[in-house]
Amino acid sequence: MKLFKLFNNKRLFILLITLVMFIVVMGFSLGARKALSWPENFLRDTTGFVQSLFYKPAGYVAGFFQDIGNLHDLAEENERLKILAAQYARDKAVYNFTKAKIEDYQEKLNFKDAQKKLYDYELHIAQVISLTTEPSNSSVVIDLGSKDGIKPNMSVISVEGMVGVISQVSNFTSTVKLMTVMDANDPNSQPPIAATVLDKEGKSFGMIESYDQQTGMLKMNKIPVGDPIAVGDTIISSGGGGVYPRGLTIGTVKSVKVGEFGYTSTALIDPTADFQDWKDLFVVFTEERVE
Amino acid sequence: MRMRRSVLVLLLFLIFILQGTILPWLLPDAWELRIIPNLVFIVILFVTIYHHRHTALILGLSFGMLHDIVYYGRILGAHSFAMGLSAYLIGLIFQIPRAPLPLMMTVVLLGSLLEDSILFAIYSVFNLNQEPYNWALLNYMLPTMLFHFAIGLLLYIPVRRQLELLKKETRKEEPA
Repeated sequence: MKLFKLFNNKRLFILLITLVMFIVVMGFSLGARKALSWPENFLRDTTGFVQSLFYKPAGYVAGFFQDIGNLHDLAEENERLKILAAQYARDKAVYNFTKAKIEDYQEKLNFKDAQKKLYDYELHIAQVISLTTEPSNSSVVIDLGSKDGIKPNMSVISVEGMVGVISQVSNFTSTVKLMTVMDANDPNSQPPIAATVLDKEGKSFGMIESYDQQTGMLKMNKIPVGDPIAVGDTIISSGGGGVYPRGLTIGTVKSVKVGEFGYTSTALIDPTADFQDWKDLFVVFTEERVE
Repeated sequence: MRMRRSVLVLLLFLIFILQGTILPWLLPDAWELRIIPNLVFIVILFVTIYHHRHTALILGLSFGMLHDIVYYGRILGAHSFAMGLSAYLIGLIFQIPRAPLPLMMTVVLLGSLLEDSILFAIYSVFNLNQEPYNWALLNYMLPTMLFHFAIGLLLYIPVRRQLELLKKETRKEEPA
């Protein structure tokens, strides 16, 4: 028996035990977990601390050179921002009136507190401390943890748009699972995002369910027939279902076509966040909901 | 002896930190999704060739687990398994304490491909990736291999010198 010569019995035994152990660990870690064990917490927090010493200074140095490169675009960008700021100042007045009116109606219609606060959310800034771009497991580590009130499945956004959801939380750091690993076939993937089109909020609807790594596009399914969605539209989250807050920018529509069975359409969406080189991200804190 | 070995572990830890923090800034944006640097694994390949495959196995398992825990997105243990197993297998086939540079570079290329393939296999088994192997091979495994080759060339002299020192110390200790 050549096999037994190659591995003597003891070694074969250890090998098999290790294999089984690994399968158990992988299977166990695959499911949803409420909290991490203390060795995991300890390792993540200590490593996170050391990483935070490196990532930020490196980012500043890199950012400095980028800024020098962008210097000639600065005047143009400034002009554009000034126009935008003027528009916002005007819209702000309209917004305040509308908001006051809605609050007034809510009062008159006897809204419950939970209903009033349904769409309230606040952003907490978080520093990125390290990242990995591996296709099947892209994640970013940020410097907020359970001590700051972070919980799994909170949404994380950047200035450009939605980035992903919190997957695991330890005391002082947490891991963000990027939208690029969103997958309809994976039961533990982030839940589908109920989405709608900016400026057609009441008329358009669809579910963003997966990300295609080969094309780099998000797939929005279940768009009903006769939906006014068109190429170039901006897609935002609609807040339906309660997992994601309302109004987060997700991407722009690249193409719309009739889906597999002909009853609904499918749109391909180009995400606005570019999934690389971040300094800061925002974690979206929503009102606590009873589950 | 203790000192050299802890120098090696500290070096690996430092490389692990740098690979998650500094390297993303140094890589051009267009490459960032195509090159998945795993510098720790390169050093472990050096250990498996010039030192011993059992040391490499333990290092691969533990640093893989560290990577898994710090970047815990979907599954624990995938990197640990892939790094440990591929370092061990490569050591089993190629362990030659006097291996010249060309052989070492071949090992770096093969080892990097083997590790990425094992990872791909694990994710496929758990139904976590939907892409075909051909696409993965062309899109990120081959670019990563070439990147690891370049890093291997850079690290060759300093890491080999470290390992020679480690070997000398181990040898001195053995007769005692």
